Amino acid sequence: MFTNTLAVDLNLYIPIGLLVVMALVFVVANLAMTHLLGPSSSGPIKDTTYESGMNPIGTARKRFNVRFYILAMTFLVFDVEIIFLYPWAVTFSKLTPQSPDAALFLGRIMFFIATSIIAYIYAWRKGVFRWD
Amino acid sequence: MADKLWFLLPEIWLFVGVVVLSIIGLSKSKSLRDSLPFVTCFFLIVAFIMTPFVYSADRVADAPLLMPMLGKYVKMIVCAVGTMLALLSVGLLDRPLEAAMAEGRTRFDAIRVNRGEYFAFFLLSLIGVMLVCNANDLIWLFLALELASLPTYIMVAISRPSSKAQEAAVKYFFLGAMSSAMFLYGFALLYGSTGTIVITELRDAFTDQTLSEGGLSRLAIVGMILSIIGLCFKIVAVPMHFYAADVYEGAASPVTAFLGFVPKTAGAVALILLLSTVGWSNHHGFNVDGLPREILTTLWMIAVLTMTLGNVGALLQRSAKRMLAYSSIAHSGYLIIGLIAGPPFGLNAVLFYLLAYGLMNTAAFAVLAAFERRGQEIESLDDLAGLRRRYPVMAVVMAIAAGSLMGMPPLLGFAAKLYLFIAGMNAGHVALIVIAALNSAISAFYYLKLVALPLLAQSTPQSETVIPRPVVWPRVAAIITAAAIVILPIFANQLIKASNVANSIEQSALLSATDDLSLVEKVEDGTRH
Repeated sequence: MFTNTLAVDLNLYIPIGLLVVMALVFVVANLAMTHLLGPSSSGPIKDTTYESGMNPIGTARKRFNVRFYILAMTFLVFDVEIIFLYPWAVTFSKLTPQSPDAALFLGRIMFFIATSIIAYIYAWRKGVFRWD
Repeated sequence: MADKLWFLLPEIWLFVGVVVLSIIGLSKSKSLRDSLPFVTCFFLIVAFIMTPFVYSADRVADAPLLMPMLGKYVKMIVCAVGTMLALLSVGLLDRPLEAAMAEGRTRFDAIRVNRGEYFAFFLLSLIGVMLVCNANDLIWLFLALELASLPTYIMVAISRPSSKAQEAAVKYFFLGAMSSAMFLYGFALLYGSTGTIVITELRDAFTDQTLSEGGLSRLAIVGMILSIIGLCFKIVAVPMHFYAADVYEGAASPVTAFLGFVPKTAGAVALILLLSTVGWSNHHGFNVDGLPREILTTLWMIAVLTMTLGNVGALLQRSAKRMLAYSSIAHSGYLIIGLIAGPPFGLNAVLFYLLAYGLMNTAAFAVLAAFERRGQEIESLDDLAGLRRRYPVMAVVMAIAAGSLMGMPPLLGFAAKLYLFIAGMNAGHVALIVIAALNSAISAFYYLKLVALPLLAQSTPQSETVIPRPVVWPRVAAIITAAAIVILPIFANQLIKASNVANSIEQSALLSATDDLSLVEKVEDGTRH
């Protein structure tokens, strides 16, 4: 009675199955080959943390100022705003100039930008940009 | 699209309120900061007045919503109860900091004040509830529910400077995230089974499934049950009730009152919208025989377990807040009876019950919020002993609130419960009503403690040390809500009529569906089976 909606044609899943198999084979083969073929040596230099070629300093569990987080969040506000502006700009240029649609589009993005400006004022008043 | 925006005017207006509140919360002027709760009330009252005008008949007629008038009712009760909750929160936050600033010990420090954020989140959460009733697709529903919940996590955390509040907030957040994941997964399965996320289209798809296959597909049933269980978190029902006692106890009383009303309303409205897609027998005119059996059984079990567990749990509590938390669970159980019974009476009763519960819950917590001991809020039942002698008005308010929660006849809680039980009887769920009535009897035991302790008991040395909070507004809110509990039963008929309009289904959709002759024939075939 439920066959219609739960019709499972397993053939449809062949590509996904293939992908899974390929992923598994790739990982296992790579690990096995480096283990078998690669030269192996160990020492204090090799065991240190990889820091893009720099000499590692101190521990990774170091505390750092909470302001970095606040600043990162403020950055996010404007970052996300710009991401939204791109698709808007692409669509807006295709609308008939001075049509009601265009006005609505402009109004919406203005509202959106206004909310970001308010977020900026809020952050400013809250003292996010003060660094003392 | 622009038509849809019209219905969102109250929300947009409240959003302006959010902006204003978060900015003036950072003002250097103490009087401006002190005005925050009243600014919140102003925005809520204007939104309340605005709502009936926004929902004018011609606009509602061509709204693309399943229950277009639902918004009017829900928005108005949310604004009304929200105003009371805002009054309750006066003087809740930043008290040590404000005192230090008044004495000149510290300078104003924007990063340490939280009041603006608190009231901004307060309004944002209310906006979330209002958006839930406008939802016409599952994504909107999900986002609105999240908007209603996310601010409450922060409100719990900042409500008092105690590690208990933070513990409560973290518990609440993680369990809330789990429940969101559950109903989101449920929504995904509903989409998988029907190929649509629009609620009106879901309803048509489920009707088709029922007609062509004699029932919902298994995928749809699993999706529906997952969504219901996820939403049980919002209305604090079994199996997602376990956080209630800890979170309600950890948060400050005004926030607890908020938690008792706002997420519950959001969850109940979301459940109404979701269940309306699978239909009640007298709902669509052309649909199935009531709720599908699997969903009916699930709801039935949830209702029975919720009210029994809530009431039995409440019996064991010594803390007034934990007791009210369990009572909140029990009331969700009663609420589900209305959801099982379905429209028109069941949903009327649910919507009416939400208003009644919001008011009595606020009144009970307002009394707790009105008192303190050495700057700490009171929690234990013993703190209320003998309240009558020193603060007779508050003692009477507590008695009214507890009596109404119990369902004592002249009060609002009685009318609300009566409508629920009648709706259940009408729908033929006699066993359920018997269990609910037994539960009401059990609940009388602990609610009567709340009546008797303030009014009849002698005060103890412990309860003598309880003093009222320096601000008067929680007491004002307590008196207003208690007055509403006493007066509103007179207008119960009008309120029920309003809630009846609220859940009447969009006429045009029904007409266009029955115009489709092939569908009518299918229905006739379906009923002959």
